[in-house]
Amino acid sequence: MHLSLSNLLGLMILFWVPSRIIAQTDTSAKPEVKETTTYAPLITFVSIQKNDNSVDLKTSVKAKINGTLTSLPGLRIEFTIGADSIAKKLGEAITDSKGVAILNCKPDQLTADAEGKLNFNASFAGKDSLEAAKEIVAVKRARLEITPVKEDSLLTVKIKLVDLSTGAETPVPETDLGVFVNRMFSALKLGEGKTDETGEASVEIPNNLPGDAKGNITLLARLDDNEVYGNLEAAVTQQWGVPVSDEVKKLPRALWSPYPPMWMLITFVILMSAVWGHYIVIIVQLFRLRKEEPKTTS
Amino acid sequence: MELNSFQQTAFEHQRPTIEKFGRKSWMWTIFFLVWIILGGYALYLQVAEGHIVTGMRDNVVWGLYIANFIFFIGISYAGAVISGILHILNVEWRKPIIRIAEMITVIATIIGPVFILLCVGRFDRLHHLILYPRLQSPITWDVLAISTYFTGSVIFLYLALIKDFAIYRDANLNVPKWRKKIYKALAIGYRGTPSQKKHISVSMNLMAIIIIPLAIIVHSVLSWIFGMTLRPGWHSTIFGPYFVLAAIYSGTGVLIMAMWVYRRMYKLYDYINDKHFIYLGYIMLVLAAGYGYFTFSEYLTDWFGSEKWNSEVIHKLFSFSEYGWWFLFANVAGIVLPIFIVAFPKTRKPGWIAIASFFMVIALWVKRYLIIVPTLESPLLPMQDTRLEYVKYSPTWVEWALTFAGIATFFLFFTLMSKFVTIIPISEFADKEKAKEKVAEKVINPESKVIPA
Repeated sequence: MHLSLSNLLGLMILFWVPSRIIAQTDTSAKPEVKETTTYAPLITFVSIQKNDNSVDLKTSVKAKINGTLTSLPGLRIEFTIGADSIAKKLGEAITDSKGVAILNCKPDQLTADAEGKLNFNASFAGKDSLEAAKEIVAVKRARLEITPVKEDSLLTVKIKLVDLSTGAETPVPETDLGVFVNRMFSALKLGEGKTDETGEASVEIPNNLPGDAKGNITLLARLDDNEVYGNLEAAVTQQWGVPVSDEVKKLPRALWSPYPPMWMLITFVILMSAVWGHYIVIIVQLFRLRKEEPKTTS
Repeated sequence: MELNSFQQTAFEHQRPTIEKFGRKSWMWTIFFLVWIILGGYALYLQVAEGHIVTGMRDNVVWGLYIANFIFFIGISYAGAVISGILHILNVEWRKPIIRIAEMITVIATIIGPVFILLCVGRFDRLHHLILYPRLQSPITWDVLAISTYFTGSVIFLYLALIKDFAIYRDANLNVPKWRKKIYKALAIGYRGTPSQKKHISVSMNLMAIIIIPLAIIVHSVLSWIFGMTLRPGWHSTIFGPYFVLAAIYSGTGVLIMAMWVYRRMYKLYDYINDKHFIYLGYIMLVLAAGYGYFTFSEYLTDWFGSEKWNSEVIHKLFSFSEYGWWFLFANVAGIVLPIFIVAFPKTRKPGWIAIASFFMVIALWVKRYLIIVPTLESPLLPMQDTRLEYVKYSPTWVEWALTFAGIATFFLFFTLMSKFVTIIPISEFADKEKAKEKVAEKVINPESKVIPA
């Protein structure tokens, strides 16, 4: 059977031209960006009252850009306290790569209003295509205390929540509190407790938590997203963990190990030597062939 | 160099081919160059804009480029294994076709790795592969294996060409002086003395022996890039031999197609005859059966095991709303069609065998695509960004343009090489009468040493 070349070429083109060649929109085309497009930043603002009576003000700034909620780094956030007309500046912070800015306020910076509330403001003045934005948080002054207790081999922490908005320390009952331990990336929850009429709760701590080289672990008591007090946190470091050596141990077999296994190295050297050895022998043969060219015919 | 009558006839027949670059050759060259220029523009866009212009995303990170890479390295087996085995077995009918096979090997081994470069996002860090190799990484094995294989293939082709270069040097060809100089340099003083013949014979035998395990290792290493990862459809112990067999199979197909084209183009019916197609057809049939067995075994075990992630990939391959039609085509054209065409005497003809090879080669390309894409579209962890283009891979025109540019480069290299050397090796032919005399002498006196022609 004889097929002409043009027939063969026709067949090839028919077959090779893919039906899905235009299946996907060419993403190389740049989207049309209107110069007047502006984005409204979304500020998530929380206050965290610490057991040293300071307050961390934390904002997370994002904006919906091309349909995706994107964190906005490098923005200057101004923090103030009090109503708009009498607001007192607390300080400024720049958002990091995750769009988070944190400002720590000392107790002497904090002024409560007539109801004993702290009115915090976080505002962004606007920049380039980002509009100005503002967020407010109003919380009552309170403190969370954490006390480690060791009875025989039983480890517990006592936590106490007190209201400070009236100037006196008033216990806060019937409130759920969480106890956590700091781990490498975030806090690990160990348990929960509900405060009694004295504002106290108790949570048992496991005795086998990995600690640092000395066995230290940092325990946290937290009240999260309370509608009256916002967020509260208290921390204490205890030598209650199992010491974990920070010495670098020999890595297990893994792709990221710095050196290949010995057997692999030996196999590699044998195989490559065998093949390249053959090549060298052949190249030597070719040199000898060239040398042996009869002079009369050259 | 003195030529026997058979060599003289073969050379005179092919002399015009290497002396003239005719109108047809120019047209083909321009046609291929147009595709290559289009590919060049696509590459410019890819470098300037980044891989966003391709269909690859952080989920499906491999696509057409890697399918092309495996495909080209696979067809390079035509020269390495087929010609190596036929050389060792001293099969006489191999002689007119080994040059085509070896040319396929070298050209495919040049083009295949280029697709890896196209797939790599950071060209500027490419040298890190050499400066900071990690021997425990299959990617490093692949770089080392392919560069070693390429070196071996070039040596193998060159060894087979030395005697012919000597013939071109002494033939007073009507070609520019620079070409004559190149022929002279490449002939490295070969004059056909017994010791020179021996050097080439020893070297050829060594290369034929080493190139076969080397080719097997190269394609096994290539398969291990997939097999060593714990991904559904990839993590399989038979991937090594499966890839090796598929590679020899597709290499045979490309060899048959190239033989068919050259036979018609340069009127080589006296040298590449029906017997060559039928013999290679038989080889293709055996390989098709072996490939079919591996395919069945691979998918049967995955399907029977019903492991969650493997089942997901199997479902994609069997579902006609996803890759079902492609999978069916890959198996019908890649396994059933060649077996039927070669099995029946009525269709056991060069044209039919070439058609079967053509569809089989495309089916094998589709198969490579089906190995890569459905698995990557089945992530082991939930996707964070579930936009359709992230979940489902669909190649863009940039990838297609570069794919066709690669194929055009393959054909262009072939066209240029066939104008530089004769497609039928001249020096391989012994004078028929002399050969008969030598056989007779060997029968009469078994102690006599017969120097191969």
